Amino acid sequence: MAAPETSTAAVPSLYTNNALRNAFGGVLSFFILLLIGVMAFSIRLFSVIKYESVIHEFDPYFNYRVTQFLAKNGIYEFWNWFDDRTWYPLGRVIGGTVYPGLTLTAGTIWWLLNSLNIPLSVETVCVFTAPIFSALASWATFLLTKEVKGTGAGLTAAALLAMVPSYISRSVAGSYDNEAVAIFALIFTFYLYIKTLNTGSLFYATLNSIAYFYMVCSWGGYTFIINLIPMHVLLCIVTGRFSSRLYIAYAPLVVLGTLLAALVPVVGFNAVMTSEHFASFLVFIILHVVAFVYYIKGILSPKMFKVAVTLVVSVGLAVCCAVIAVLIALVASSPTKGWSGRSLSLLDPTYASKYIPIIASVSEHQPPTWPSYFMDINVLAFLVPAGIVACFSPLSDSSSFVVLYIATSVYFSGVMVRLMLVFAPAACITSGIALSQSFDVFTRSIKFQLPGISSNTEVDAAETSSATAEAQNDAVKTEKSEETSKNRPSKKSKKKEKEEKPSTKAKAEKRLIALPLDSSVISLLLLILLGAFYVVHCVWAAAEAYSAPSIVLTSHSHDGLHVFDDFREAYAWLRHNTDVDDKVASWWDYGYQTTAMANRTVIVDNNTWNNTHIATVGTAMSSPEKAAWEIFHSLDVKYVLVVFGGLVGYPSDDINKFLWMVRIGGGVFPHIKEPDYLRDGQYRIDSQATPTMLNCLMYKLSYYRFVETDGKGFDRVRQTEIGKKYFKLTHFEEVFTTHHWMVRIYKLKPPKNRIRGKTKKSKSKTSSASSRAKRSGMGKKNPWH
Amino acid sequence: MGNFFILSSSIVISLFFVISKAESESESELLADLFALQSHSKSGVIHLDDRSVARFLTSPKTPRPYSLLVFFDAVQLRDKPDLRLRELSQEFAVIASSFIANHNSTNPKLFFCDIEFRESQTSFSLFDVVSLPSIYLVGRSAKSLKDDSERMEQADFTRFTESVVDFIESRTKLTVGPLHRPPLISRTQMGIIFGILLIWSPLAAKKVLSGETWVHNPRVWLSGAIFIYFFSVSGTMHTVIRRMPMFLMDREDPNRLIFFYRGTGVQLGLEGFAAGFLYTIVGLLLAFVTHVLVNVKDPKAQRVAMLVSVLVSFWAVRQVIFLDNWKTGYAIHGFWPSSWN
Repeated sequence: MAAPETSTAAVPSLYTNNALRNAFGGVLSFFILLLIGVMAFSIRLFSVIKYESVIHEFDPYFNYRVTQFLAKNGIYEFWNWFDDRTWYPLGRVIGGTVYPGLTLTAGTIWWLLNSLNIPLSVETVCVFTAPIFSALASWATFLLTKEVKGTGAGLTAAALLAMVPSYISRSVAGSYDNEAVAIFALIFTFYLYIKTLNTGSLFYATLNSIAYFYMVCSWGGYTFIINLIPMHVLLCIVTGRFSSRLYIAYAPLVVLGTLLAALVPVVGFNAVMTSEHFASFLVFIILHVVAFVYYIKGILSPKMFKVAVTLVVSVGLAVCCAVIAVLIALVASSPTKGWSGRSLSLLDPTYASKYIPIIASVSEHQPPTWPSYFMDINVLAFLVPAGIVACFSPLSDSSSFVVLYIATSVYFSGVMVRLMLVFAPAACITSGIALSQSFDVFTRSIKFQLPGISSNTEVDAAETSSATAEAQNDAVKTEKSEETSKNRPSKKSKKKEKEEKPSTKAKAEKRLIALPLDSSVISLLLLILLGAFYVVHCVWAAAEAYSAPSIVLTSHSHDGLHVFDDFREAYAWLRHNTDVDDKVASWWDYGYQTTAMANRTVIVDNNTWNNTHIATVGTAMSSPEKAAWEIFHSLDVKYVLVVFGGLVGYPSDDINKFLWMVRIGGGVFPHIKEPDYLRDGQYRIDSQATPTMLNCLMYKLSYYRFVETDGKGFDRVRQTEIGKKYFKLTHFEEVFTTHHWMVRIYKLKPPKNRIRGKTKKSKSKTSSASSRAKRSGMGKKNPWH
Repeated sequence: MGNFFILSSSIVISLFFVISKAESESESELLADLFALQSHSKSGVIHLDDRSVARFLTSPKTPRPYSLLVFFDAVQLRDKPDLRLRELSQEFAVIASSFIANHNSTNPKLFFCDIEFRESQTSFSLFDVVSLPSIYLVGRSAKSLKDDSERMEQADFTRFTESVVDFIESRTKLTVGPLHRPPLISRTQMGIIFGILLIWSPLAAKKVLSGETWVHNPRVWLSGAIFIYFFSVSGTMHTVIRRMPMFLMDREDPNRLIFFYRGTGVQLGLEGFAAGFLYTIVGLLLAFVTHVLVNVKDPKAQRVAMLVSVLVSFWAVRQVIFLDNWKTGYAIHGFWPSSWN
């Protein structure tokens, strides 16, 4: 917690007239910022230290593969890339369906380093992109908070953000996903907006649009920005805070930002066609109406204005009504009312659970419980209310933005646990403000009440303290006194303000604004203790909770550390022992990894855009061997990969995901019925399991020869002995099983002699429903073997 | 002999014709009655009682020309929140009316019915319904209501609407089509609201422009923001979306109430509010000390107030840490130098 302490020391120094102290403060804050950056980077390296420099999980593998392609083939090839290695036989247009921000960023870093003759591999660059951007994000937080409440609060907020667990969870080294750069882009866009709002400079407004463009490139969460900023503008207008600076901050952003956003292929015309963006256009119109009213007010006498205002208001309202009517008509014509399911579930939280099971089923989209907040923002949860109160004393344009940001994001995080990530920066900013202000009050109280200081200095202290308080409050406007007056809309309130200020100052001179010495010391110590607890928690979270790459697993037992590297073993086997054009079928979770690490064509992957295709694979996995063989054969599949955790107790294996395969398969092919796989509504694989379950492909591929391991066939995940222990495979043959049996690869046997197969087929009773796949399988004239 | 045979066979044949004609007449009558009942009902759900069950289901010969989807309802149990009977019957009506609207021209002869427990107990025993909510599909060829009609799985009632649609589509090979939900507010109401808004908006805009409303009062915004914060960190959305109860009864000891649920991923309503309160109170006390208490003149009062807020904050933070460790089972530890241990 060293940073916040020193940061508070830097606060007064910046605002005294003493140039030397000022310079010293500047240098000190620079070094603190540097250290914060180092901390943000290094706290995310636990994954590299504990495991190795490796890309994590699933989605990052796709991003990694795209970056590799970009590095190898250049930007034009990347835009036009049609990937035939996934979704066989459909393929996928990569260039037009990804948010390119992350890939382009990492690709540029790689290119830059290489042209400087620093030969890093693409993988290394990808692994360390997220930690680098976390350092940038904490610097952006400093800038943003500094604009709102001064340098001290800025430094504190930056230090808090550098290690907030919620953000660490998405940005450890190796977690190469969109959020890694998007959070930086989000904070930086907000900073530039506030900066424009405070300065009224078109330069910053343009930069703001460009930052927004970068955000649009990076993450679908950009809709949060394009809704939050209009909300703030509207709030400013409604509370009578309209100013020309507000206009400059907002109008260029809408015009330039929308144009730039439409340049990103994955967004395209969505930037003007979907309801997520309508709010910004509506506010754009309102802003113009209001600006017009203020203009009229300026050129007319008050009496004339009263006449005119009725006219303008009614005309403006008529225009607004017309536009709203057009918008409503547009929106109503689309089936989902123009909103994507995810956005709708934010507005009406019960929407997803009622109508979209696929969104409701994802664990990231669940509403969090109270311990989630303690896990993800820890003690910041205690400090945020104090920060909110601090933002209201006094309320400025920029601090009202922070309040709006925290209020909306905390609500959204309450609906969807994933959005905790958007809430975390806001929590850091408000907590930074709260911490810095309380440190300020407590240290001031201690400093000027320490024994040995004469009463003479006390008056002095009171003056400086009130000055610092004011300076902090109006942090940005200290140098521009005319700005403060612009801030207030009506002249009356401005006058009031002027009258009030001297009076409070006079009071402050009479009396020391401070707290008792002893209780200040205690409170200060407790606050430091709270901060220390935060640090311990964050380090623990970074080291223990969020650093597992999930591609390499470890477990501690009494005889030491065990490493399970089965996934890479299996992918390497595929890479070295199969033909380049072989097709590998697996459940969609492993699609990205297979294409990236084994370089083999997959049927489905984690970009779940085609439900029917996924359902086909699900159906195959839930069908008996023969029917499954026919489905896979019709898809040209040569290898089937299953993940099995029964031997080592790895719970997220395919048997545990199997019911989803059945559900999704049954959703498209109705002959797959979930109850057939359940005994009395219970999912089980022991001797009580249903015959359908014991005969389906997934069961057989998972448990084939399993009994040979311990003689009993005891499954350590399900904690039972398996139901069917001895069986042979007729249509598949085992070709590879990894060291801990976590990945098992099977090859489809070649089709049997045609005549024998035909007589068999006519005899056997085949299920009717897999007919589509079956027909195409049977209709093949040239089997591949 | 031959004559007799011809005679008897002709009698049989003619009898057969007569009977079949009579039957077909009554069949069409039944159908017409069903359609009439359906059109009389507002939502298209036909209300059955013991008499009509006997008339439409038990007495006609199978195969009947129609199939019925029966929802079993009980008025006296509608107040029980865990059965959700009221909500389910409304959803059932929505499906019924959508189905009828979607099949206006094709006439698929599937009728939606409901039976109330108190007035038709015989029918309940005919179907052998022992638990509610229950939905049975009586197919055309179902002879015994108990054995041949198909029952919707109890597990499917959690996602009721989709399950019923799936159930119909899988068993009858008919498609239900898009559901037409009645809008929350009708067109006329919408018009009135719009009109009021239209009249009110210039007045509101004028007031807002002159700057004298509650929206210009920062205290309102402050309390709003704090409330949203409290509301969210309490996990209230979790309670709302998952329909969690405020507290649970202890099964072994009915007098004891359970307020805190152990295990991540689930929380009870009051538990959330308690945690949210603890989260919020610390920040508010800190703000009170740094913004209000500083301006108090009396050092004694300052000291007492600070002591109280420090104690309360300390207690709240400890309580949250304790509850969190108890609930999640995490043990957070520092990474101290090994020589310290």
